[in-house]
Amino acid sequence: MLSHRVLTVLNLAAAVSMVGAIYMALVQAPSAINLTETERWAQRIIYFHVPTAWLSMLAFFVTFVAAILYLVRPQPRWDILARCSAELGVAFTIAATASGSIWAKPAWNTWWTWDPRLTTYTIVLLLYIAYFMLRGAIEEPERRARFASVYSIFAFVSVPITFMSIRWWNTIHPVILDPNEDFGLGPGMTLAFVFCIVAFTVLYVALLANRLRLEYTIERVAALRARLLT
Amino acid sequence: MPYLVAAYVVIWLIIFIFILTMNRRLSALNDELTALEDALRHRESR
Repeated sequence: MLSHRVLTVLNLAAAVSMVGAIYMALVQAPSAINLTETERWAQRIIYFHVPTAWLSMLAFFVTFVAAILYLVRPQPRWDILARCSAELGVAFTIAATASGSIWAKPAWNTWWTWDPRLTTYTIVLLLYIAYFMLRGAIEEPERRARFASVYSIFAFVSVPITFMSIRWWNTIHPVILDPNEDFGLGPGMTLAFVFCIVAFTVLYVALLANRLRLEYTIERVAALRARLLT
Repeated sequence: MPYLVAAYVVIWLIIFIFILTMNRRLSALNDELTALEDALRHRESR
C-alpha cells in the first residue's frame, strides 16, 4: 500500500500539473488560424478533451492488464486494481464524450452524429458500464473477480478498435494523435497539447492511488469488524 | 467562448464529483476505523 507521504506528493503533483495544464491550454497555446471567433475558442477544448479520452483508454488498458494478472495469479489486489481503474475509465469516458459533443456543435454544427469514432466510443462506455453490472450481479467474491476479469479482457478489444476507427473508416473526426503530422496541430500548439496529456496522466495516477487507498481502508474496516466479532 | 466554458465545466465537474465521493467515503470509513480501533483497545484492556 502507498504511504501517506507518497499520496500527498502525488496529490500535489496532480494539482500543480492541472494548474499548469489550464495555463498552457488557455494562455500559452496560440489561437488557431482560419477559424471564426467561436471556433477559435472551441478549438481549445481539445487540450482537455483529448487527454480525457487518452486517460479513459489508459485506464481500461490498466484494467485489462490487471485482469490478466488476476487470471494468472488470483490475488484480490489485481481485481481491486482492475475495478478501480475501470471506474476512472468510465468517468473519463463520460468527460471525453461530453466535452467532444460540446466541441462538435460549433465545429460540425451538431451535438452528436453516429460517426465511427463516436459510435465505437459509445460502445466502449456501454461495455464498461456492463462490467460493473456484471460485478454487481455476482455475490461470491472469487467467482465475481474471475468472471469480471474474463469479461474485461474481451471488453478491452473495443478500445483499440475505437482508437483506430478514425484511421480505418471514413469519418469526420480529426486525427490528432499522429506524431508524423506534428500531432495534427500548428506550431506552438503541440507543446501545450503534450503538456496537457502528461498532466492528465499524473492526475490519473493520483486518482487511482487515492481510489486504491479507499479500497484498502474498506478492507481494514472489514478485518477489524471481523476481529471484534470473534 | 461559451462552448469552451461549458466543456471545461463538464470535465471539472466530473473530476470533482469523483474526488468528492471518494473523500466522503474515506472520511466515513476513517471515523468507523477509529471507533473500531477504540472498541478493540477497550476490549483488550479489560
